[in-house]
Amino acid sequence: MKRLFVFALFLLGFASAAWAQTALEQAEDFYRQGKFSAALGIYESELKKVPNDPYLYYNIGNCYFKMGSKGLAIANYYRAFRLAPRDADIRHNLTLGLSSVGERLVPSGVPVVLHQAFYSLSYTELKGLLFVLLWLFCALASLWLLKRKWGRMLAASAVILLLCAGWFYLRHTLQVEHLAVIASPVAEIRSGPGTNFPASASLAQGHLITVEDAKDEWYEVIVKSQGLKGWVEKSAVEQI
Amino acid sequence: MKKVCLFVLFSFWAVYAAAQVSITARVDKTALALDDELTLSVEVNGAAGNMLMPQLPSLPAFNVYSREVQQNTINGKTTTFFRYVMLPRFVGKATIGAIRFTYNGKTYTTDPITVNIYRHAQGVQKAQPASSSARVTSSGNYDSAAVKRPVEKADPNLPPLERDLANQAYARGNENYFLIAAVSDETPYVNEAVTLAVRFYYSRPFYDAPYQKPTVSNIFMEDLGSSQGTQSIGGVLYRYEEQRYQLTAASAGKATIGPASVRYMTGSSPLSALDRLFGGSAVSAEETAQSAPITLQVRAVPADGKPKSFYGAVGSGYTISAQTDRTQVEAGEAVNLTITVQGPGNLKSTADLELPSLDGFKTYPAQSVSDTSFAGGSLKSYKIFKAVLVPAASEVYTIPSVKWSYFNPATASYKTIHTEPITLQVSPSTKTDRGFDFGAAAPTGSGFQALGQDIAYLKTSYAPEDSFLEKISIWHTLNWVMLALLAGSVLFASIGRKSLAQKRAYGVAKNQLKKALSDEAVADAVADYLQQKLKISTGSLPLRSMVASLQQRGITPATAEAFSLLWQRLETARFAPGTPDAQSAQDLARQALDILKLMEGEAK
Repeated sequence: MKRLFVFALFLLGFASAAWAQTALEQAEDFYRQGKFSAALGIYESELKKVPNDPYLYYNIGNCYFKMGSKGLAIANYYRAFRLAPRDADIRHNLTLGLSSVGERLVPSGVPVVLHQAFYSLSYTELKGLLFVLLWLFCALASLWLLKRKWGRMLAASAVILLLCAGWFYLRHTLQVEHLAVIASPVAEIRSGPGTNFPASASLAQGHLITVEDAKDEWYEVIVKSQGLKGWVEKSAVEQI
Repeated sequence: MKKVCLFVLFSFWAVYAAAQVSITARVDKTALALDDELTLSVEVNGAAGNMLMPQLPSLPAFNVYSREVQQNTINGKTTTFFRYVMLPRFVGKATIGAIRFTYNGKTYTTDPITVNIYRHAQGVQKAQPASSSARVTSSGNYDSAAVKRPVEKADPNLPPLERDLANQAYARGNENYFLIAAVSDETPYVNEAVTLAVRFYYSRPFYDAPYQKPTVSNIFMEDLGSSQGTQSIGGVLYRYEEQRYQLTAASAGKATIGPASVRYMTGSSPLSALDRLFGGSAVSAEETAQSAPITLQVRAVPADGKPKSFYGAVGSGYTISAQTDRTQVEAGEAVNLTITVQGPGNLKSTADLELPSLDGFKTYPAQSVSDTSFAGGSLKSYKIFKAVLVPAASEVYTIPSVKWSYFNPATASYKTIHTEPITLQVSPSTKTDRGFDFGAAAPTGSGFQALGQDIAYLKTSYAPEDSFLEKISIWHTLNWVMLALLAGSVLFASIGRKSLAQKRAYGVAKNQLKKALSDEAVADAVADYLQQKLKISTGSLPLRSMVASLQQRGITPATAEAFSLLWQRLETARFAPGTPDAQSAQDLARQALDILKLMEGEAK
């Protein structure tokens, strides 16, 4: 009886995997036929099953891009980039999308190589590396305390640990930043949270903003590329 | 009576007109060698319109191999030149008979000309003093009539540059090859276009004539192209090759134009006339014709009254216009503004136009292109400024007129021209951006041509499994707990390390004593025990102090006395050693173990 139950579970898992593969293939077929919204629907339902899959975010970004929603495309590319920053396709599409709206992935003045090195690990990988280094440091510290041995190794591991901690701190700062993107074709930046406040500028979709505060249906945002601060309707913004 | 008068008038006009027609013939030399050539020039004055060619007499002594005709009309007077180049055939005296020319039913004739033909050039040299003393002037350059004739003057109605060139040519009409240069203005303003013309005149054939253009200082020089022409000087037809340049002075002060030069090979050769007649060619020594240098005094444009919109253009007849690629756009869309300035002179060296600030627009800096062309005898120049404007919000905008000034040297004053204002209707943005293309790059010549860019294709699978580092980071709570435990353990172990040694002192001593085979080993085991367990250093304390220390740590006097006896025996064995005896050492070790056991139980 027990064996039968295990076999049934195995079959169920296999069938589920086969169905998932079919769903991705079907989405790809839609995409190739130019039915981007149909492909998008499949990818979004897959994302609910496999949350935080960078490839699904990437594919969703592609669908939005082909549908002309550059802002939503950039938001999804950015999500994928945060999860898999070493992936060349994700970096390419994000760079292309940002440059099409006058934004940059690599800040001006920063060498691309340095930017790639900074994003050579994902946030979670960097956290894992920090733990590994912490374990190493603690092991060496124990040895030193008990046996007074490997003092130099302990010092070297301390330096590496500090550097890694600094790197992690910078990445953490960027990770917790409330980055968002203008998703509607044009968003007007107003001096207050309401349409009774005058618009000081308009932003085309795709521009990166940072959400500072929220009030009712409005976000207080900073447009870094323009040095602007103002209020934008929540419906026009997609948070990353 | 009326008819009589008309007839008289007609007869008078006919006689007058007939009296104005004349024909003369001349040769360039009256003595020549058999291998030389003779040029016969026939000049017909006063005959215009369709006319017949002069009728040459029979010329048995010559072969005529070249004929040229040129007609000039100056101040209503027409002169026609017929030029024949002939090769002598026989040695001896040859006569060119009267040349006949018929015009309006009347026939005109020239006087016969006699020339002497010698077999060799030496005969010509001997004969020349007698026959003609005024022929040879320099090697390869001579004209028998030029020395004595008055220097001609160019038509005063000609433009200054043409007049100057023509007068220079007239002044040098006694040479067969010469090079002259002239400028349209010798005192121009900075940035004012000046034309430099260099002409190489020749009345005889030449070969292989490389041209060296003049060197200039404090001047920008641009090639305006070349042309050919003819000019009659002293009745001799000269051809010329002309090269023109546009000069623009860079700064006020002196500017110099160095000499231009042409190195040419003349056509006189030692070949026989027959050889040349059938296409043979040879050249003589190389000659160089050089123009005179020219100095310009460049003036600065006046500072008084110079407008802010003056960017350095000097000249007249400039125009400016502005246009946008569309007048109705949506907010956020780019509008291309093009401002074109054109006119004579050189606009390349003028500064770029500065656009006024345009409220409501994001303006990208203007890019400029300029070029010049020489057409219809005058220089055309243009400069185009292109700017990209992006309206921020929906509204009706007006791009204001843009001013541009130039200095007119003719009136010595500044003039400002401006564009017309342009109205732009900007509506709210409604479109969604769909795709994009960064524009095709121009072919690079390497066979590669970028046609555009697009996003990379889909990922056809899920992302790969988490890496080792990611898995570790997922257990971060466990990590922190384990790290805390590790730290606590290490701390505890570090603090309790000494008491542990204290506890283990008896066990260690017991092991040492069991293995002891000498009195010294027994002494060491006891000493270690006292050091680890009771913190009593046996090396630095006398026995009495050791006993006192033991009693302070709770050891009974009887046990302390037993230890004292044991220690004395060990001291004796250490400092007065006898024959090593393992049995004795074992006995001592058992005794020591018993005492240590008592001390272990009594110590506090």
